[in-house]
Amino acid sequence: MTDEQLTAEIREANLTYLMLAQSLIRKDKAEALFRLGISEESADLIAALSPVQISKIASGNMLLCRFRMDDDVVWNLLTNHTTRKVDNDATTKLHASILMAGRFAESI
Amino acid sequence: MATAKSVLNESREIERAVALIQLGARLQVLESETNLSYERLLRLYKEVAGRSPSKGQLPFSTDWFLTWQPNIHSSLFLNIYEHLTKVSALEDIDAIMKAYKLYSEQITACAMEPILSLTRAWRLVKFIDNNMLGMTRCSKCGGHFVTEPYENSRHFECGLCSPPARAGKSTAAGGILLH
Repeated sequence: MTDEQLTAEIREANLTYLMLAQSLIRKDKAEALFRLGISEESADLIAALSPVQISKIASGNMLLCRFRMDDDVVWNLLTNHTTRKVDNDATTKLHASILMAGRFAESI
Repeated sequence: MATAKSVLNESREIERAVALIQLGARLQVLESETNLSYERLLRLYKEVAGRSPSKGQLPFSTDWFLTWQPNIHSSLFLNIYEHLTKVSALEDIDAIMKAYKLYSEQITACAMEPILSLTRAWRLVKFIDNNMLGMTRCSKCGGHFVTEPYENSRHFECGLCSPPARAGKSTAAGGILLH
């Protein structure tokens, strides 16, 4: 992949993310905050963006959305890498969602 | 509400009641969360649900939330609920409804049956508010789980990190399986 292609793909991902985020926030803000895992301030900012602003922000060489979980526990649960007492896919996924839903409460 | 009757407020309450009925709330929940009269709620219930509401008392014990499978479901719901109430200023009942919706969505995505009903979820929030149940951090995975209010957090391990011996053997469809 050439550098131009990379930038184009990043732009595309950014655009999709921002547009999705915007429609989620406009539909139901509280729910969107949970789904996106962002603060209310950022949500207000994103919701207020005009299409022109979105396309401006989206073009650049940096991705705007970033990884939600930065710890091994959740990551291992999601990928099911480590063998544990529980090795049912649905159950580990459920475990991971409990951990992820509780994450924000700590970081605030 | 002792203040003058407001048509606007009333319509909002009816809307909320309808949403609650659609989520499967029992009549007691509606009575406690809206200011509509019992007769009107009853009529509304029949109209929306197409049947008479279930009779009898609500389940009043905290034990159900502490048994293995219900505990995991309740913990997921409560984590979502706390998340919602922390990040945005919602009225309690709205937060419960939204959290319940997100909970059912997540459970369905895991190909399971949501065994926590809206009435139970509402009950759970009341129990937590009144300190009859609490949340404790699992010492292994760091997740927060519904427990007795004074669980020893140093040694607490959640039902998913250390499932009890007979857990996950249920053959009922939509249950939590270990293997």
